[in-house]
Amino acid sequence: MAQSEALSSGGEPLVAIRDLGLAYHQNQQLNDVLHHVSMDIKAGEIVGLVGESGCGKSSLSLLLLGFRHPAARIRSGEIRFKGQDLLTLPNREITRLRGNKIGFVPQNPTTALNPGMRVGAQIAEALTVHGKARGGEALRRRIVELFENVGLPEPRTLLRRYPHELSGGQQQRVTIAMALACGPDLLVLDEPTTGLDVTTQEQIILLLKSLRAQYGMAMLYVTHDLGVLAEIADRISVMYAGHLVEAAPTEALFAYPRHPYTRGLIGSIPRIDGSRAREGRLTGYLDRREIPPGCPFQPRCPLADEHCPVESQYLSGIAENHAVACRNWQEVTPLSFDDGELSRPERAAASESLLEVSNLTLRYDGGGLMVRLGLAAELPAVVREASFEIDAAEVVALVGESGSGKSTIARAISGLLEPAEGEIRFHGAPLQKKIDDRPKQLVSKIQFIFQNPDASLNPRQSVGRSLARPIEVFFGRGRSEAGELVAKALEEVMLSSDYARRYPDQLSGGERQRIAIARALVAEPDLLLCDEVLSALDVSVQANVLDLLERLRSETSVAMLFISHDLAVVRRLADRVCVLYHGQMMEQGRVAAVFAPPYHPYTLTLLMSVPGSPLRKTTIEPAAREERKPEPQGCAFAGRCPWQPDERCYDQPPPLHRTEGGLAIRCHLPLDDLMRIGLEAEENAPSAAQERKAGNLP
Amino acid sequence: MERAAAYWRQAPGAFRIGAVILAIHLTLALLGWIWTPYDYTARVGIPLSGMSWEHLFGVDQNARDIFSRVLYGGHIVILLAVSGTLLGVLVGATLGLTSGYLGGWLDEVVMRLFDAFNSIPFLVLGLLASAVAGPVASGNPLLLVGVVALVYAPRVGRIARSAAQNIATQDYVLIARLRREGVGSVVRREILPNCSGPLLVEFALRAGYAPVLIGSLGFLGFGVRAPLPEWGRMIAENRNLIFTTPEALLAPGIALATLVVGLNLFTDGVARLIGRSSVHENG
Repeated sequence: MAQSEALSSGGEPLVAIRDLGLAYHQNQQLNDVLHHVSMDIKAGEIVGLVGESGCGKSSLSLLLLGFRHPAARIRSGEIRFKGQDLLTLPNREITRLRGNKIGFVPQNPTTALNPGMRVGAQIAEALTVHGKARGGEALRRRIVELFENVGLPEPRTLLRRYPHELSGGQQQRVTIAMALACGPDLLVLDEPTTGLDVTTQEQIILLLKSLRAQYGMAMLYVTHDLGVLAEIADRISVMYAGHLVEAAPTEALFAYPRHPYTRGLIGSIPRIDGSRAREGRLTGYLDRREIPPGCPFQPRCPLADEHCPVESQYLSGIAENHAVACRNWQEVTPLSFDDGELSRPERAAASESLLEVSNLTLRYDGGGLMVRLGLAAELPAVVREASFEIDAAEVVALVGESGSGKSTIARAISGLLEPAEGEIRFHGAPLQKKIDDRPKQLVSKIQFIFQNPDASLNPRQSVGRSLARPIEVFFGRGRSEAGELVAKALEEVMLSSDYARRYPDQLSGGERQRIAIARALVAEPDLLLCDEVLSALDVSVQANVLDLLERLRSETSVAMLFISHDLAVVRRLADRVCVLYHGQMMEQGRVAAVFAPPYHPYTLTLLMSVPGSPLRKTTIEPAAREERKPEPQGCAFAGRCPWQPDERCYDQPPPLHRTEGGLAIRCHLPLDDLMRIGLEAEENAPSAAQERKAGNLP
Repeated sequence: MERAAAYWRQAPGAFRIGAVILAIHLTLALLGWIWTPYDYTARVGIPLSGMSWEHLFGVDQNARDIFSRVLYGGHIVILLAVSGTLLGVLVGATLGLTSGYLGGWLDEVVMRLFDAFNSIPFLVLGLLASAVAGPVASGNPLLLVGVVALVYAPRVGRIARSAAQNIATQDYVLIARLRREGVGSVVRREILPNCSGPLLVEFALRAGYAPVLIGSLGFLGFGVRAPLPEWGRMIAENRNLIFTTPEALLAPGIALATLVVGLNLFTDGVARLIGRSSVHENG
């Protein structure tokens, strides 16, 4: 950080946004999306802009790129980039700046890259448009150099590939290379790691940091994820409903948040050690249709007094570099955290087995008839010989990155996908493979909750109808009787009974997800399959739904298969954890055992990638290996594993180790070595307590 | 009411013109019988005596008042067009939505069937159907309704199927499947309500062309039986009078043309309004 301070001292800032007001023309009226926003970005500085969905952060970043939406109206203010006002500059001048002096890295590289064009040609286009290169060998050399700079392997062959031939992380590296192509002074990044796995996200962040050190360009990093900003940003601006509510250097913001919203946001983030803020977490949600007068946060604010709905509040300095838009900022107290899983009563082990999955192998039906006739090859298995159990009233988490097969397992249990091999037993009896073969009373006992609450409710059905339908189908009750049960179900998920008359488009994302949970609960299930139920939600909403799930866990006897990529949430909620990689079960055991040495190498890699993890700062460089895919019977993690002992990882099935703590690990390394690696990693890491004191941890 | 007024103000000009033309036609079709001066079968004047105050559009070969016949014909054309289109949309939507939801071999069979029907020009298909129905059924208005439905069902079915395919992958449909709900129940409760937009547009557009189809069949003698004054049939009956008393075929011709133009302007506007509002709801 010292470097950035040196760069930023003195002189006119690279970007100066002054009193910016923006409105969108919608339904014959103007809706304000930005209110009197002022911020600076100095040369070489990384500024984070954080806020929940719909707060206006993307609108601001698009303005910075000089995009003028036809419906947008500038209400006031200016954006000065190197002294020029981007809002009044003619379009021709803007086009010259954009992609040249101001680079952009989008959220979704899959849609940002042209699928029909080789990636090298796309970079070449960026270079030639701005007259940075003419073509021929010089152009080619420049592209290879760019690809090397962003850490793409074998740039010479890679530039002839099409986007779909690259992984998500590689695609994002290509878009970064494109943004860098003309040597910009400012890089605008809009959620650049949101769609990526944690391990990939970590690599991209490391790349961005090294690029800043190398080129000294400034960045505006727009995201909803404070944890990521803690890793990379020098300063953070917090946005709420189009207002900047706080701006401070990263350390100060995490150590002493001065705005109640910032404090709530930090307190709402699930923490990897399983602890949570004791108080001050956010409640309610932002309804964009009804932004109140005065301070927009006031309806959700614990400190609001009679002045807050009347007086508009704008950023004002309270310390050097620290500005806050709250008149009661002095009453905001620092956050305190509980002890995480330690504060949770350990539940009696193994009461009664509910679900047993043994040697489950799953594959999607590729060729159908063609495969049976031997004319096409069978698709490779998505899940290979997975076995685990769920006891009654137990929460078992399935953890893994995208493509690890966790959702596929849930689909097989629900009866949507027929297993290729293996057996699933429910209440001791084998479960019919297809949903249509299962009796109705059995169907009601296993309920599915999906990731995306927007797609899981029928938009043309009222909430009451959606909730009454399972009651009618499973219990044959009439509408009047169902009405009472619906009201009870709504109460269960902490919503008032008049929600029954609403339609999904009148609800927030969190409310929709609660309705989806209520719909699953009215069937009186023994097992809930929760497929990434938190990941589509905003941080504050996520915290509320997590509260609800915790309450279900402690107050009802329903068991859950909780599928998630978020280790922090898993640690908070689950009794046992299964770690999956490319369809192979790597490790399983009780939460306390999985999150302590010995770790499976993959679990350790995950823990080292999560922002805010105590193991985060240890840098164990993965050994350089040739690109080699493991054989199906080998360890799926072979080739990516930093601690891989030898060649047998590729083609021999890893043996199963069991520890005294009940942990089961599949690895070619002996347990003693795994223990040693885990302990070393913890020693190298500054302890979590020190981290928090230093303010590096959210 | 206020919403309707707001829609009216937002609506494109063509839609408003269409709505006015259609309103006049509907009024004439519904209330025309009150002031038709004569019965449509009555022999009331001297054949081919030309226009006069007693007989605004003259008198045809059979001594019948053409003005009365045109007025009376209006409700026949509109009734046949609307009920035929309705039946076609009903059948097409049921088949299309079901096969779009189920997919697989059934979907293939239904779609190839639709393709086969769509590959036959609609007039040929209509003539074929009338011919197959035989002399007893031919001329029956119900047969005409059936023919219109047969021509439209496969076309509507294709649209319904592609709309259903998009909905079928939504999680709420999966949830319904996980409740072991039957095909009919899923299609009716989960899929149909979410496809109502495109289906309404489809109904509106098809209804706009149905009078042309019915008129063409009538002209070729495959429409309703004489003496019902269906417009296409009237044009055919009076076509040899084009030089002597042109008003005898111009009157039903202009009536048919204005109805089709009005319907098309109107339904086009409806389609756009539905399209706009559904976009708005999603956004």
